[in-house]
Amino acid sequence: MSDNNFINDENIARVRDLLASMENGDEEGAKEVVDDLTSMRESTLYQEMGKLTRELHDAISAFGMDDRITDIAEHDIPDARERLNYVIQKTDEAANRTLEAVEESFPLCEEIENQAADLNNQWQRFTNRELSADEFRALSSQLGEYLGSQSEKTVVLKDNLNKVLMAQDFQDLTGQIIKKVIKLVEEVEDNLVELIKLAGLPEHEEQQQKRDSEKLAGPVVPGVDDIGDSVSGQDEVDDLLSSLGF
Amino acid sequence: MKILVVDDFSTMRRIIKNLLRDLGFTNTEEADDGTTALPMLQSNHYDLLITDWNMPGMQGIDLLRKVREDQNETLAKIPVLMVTAEQKREQIVEAAQAGVNGYIVKPFTAQTLKEKLDKIFERIEG
Repeated sequence: MSDNNFINDENIARVRDLLASMENGDEEGAKEVVDDLTSMRESTLYQEMGKLTRELHDAISAFGMDDRITDIAEHDIPDARERLNYVIQKTDEAANRTLEAVEESFPLCEEIENQAADLNNQWQRFTNRELSADEFRALSSQLGEYLGSQSEKTVVLKDNLNKVLMAQDFQDLTGQIIKKVIKLVEEVEDNLVELIKLAGLPEHEEQQQKRDSEKLAGPVVPGVDDIGDSVSGQDEVDDLLSSLGF
Repeated sequence: MKILVVDDFSTMRRIIKNLLRDLGFTNTEEADDGTTALPMLQSNHYDLLITDWNMPGMQGIDLLRKVREDQNETLAKIPVLMVTAEQKREQIVEAAQAGVNGYIVKPFTAQTLKEKLDKIFERIEG
């Protein structure tokens, strides 16, 4: 609303009318002119507000805020959280199934190892002709038992290896779920970028960096995390510690 | 030789326990964070503490500091091996300054664990 437009011949004439009416004591006439002027100003204000409202509405519609963003916030984000929790659950199950199979297999391997070492020892003595007839009979039955038990143990070992194999089936499922969540994150990112553009907000890099440094870094993800101030493996940890006198 | 293994993930504790057993250390106990571990350390004797860094409750670095400040001189001198995914240089330096005896970054191998344990015990005996 520009005041320059307000001062024009028409309005100057109105003000003259107003002055004349007042000087003549014509109250009705004076009021009429004032009402005229007021309504004219108000209508300009309303026009401007109307224009701004329309612009805002258009911008919001173009941004797709009313539908998609609400949908993401109400539905997709909680859904993604559930999916990621499921990933944790599946990987946890897989790790435990694998560990169970391994823990069950270790003692079997140790038994096989110990019995074989013992038999080997006896066998060496036999080939060196150091065994008596009784000792040889004992070795012979021990050998028989050993060979018999091997097939039982290997069946269990094979079964456990199969369990380890089957426990890896999580990778396919979790991979698909994580891909889905990545897609959602990309969509949210695009929408947020649009929102920042719309609001004309400057990016707050400094604040972001400060927030980052306050939390623990966790595992370094190649291509994502800044490798600059991190070590790339155990060798570099050892180098760093030895440079500190360790 | 009694060892306390502290990690918030039970699978990681299991992996470490299995590796330790394979190396001949069968007497191990577990805790899931510093808050649980500290009273265990104060009321029982352990010969080695293996701890993660990032845990809910009390973190590994704070557990290390609390142990080093403890009134009990034996506990204050217990060897501490940190096994963690934290691999920022400043964090490794921080752990060293807090008095850590070994630092292993995840993922790690059985060989690395063996080397670090050998080194720690070598120093204690030497």
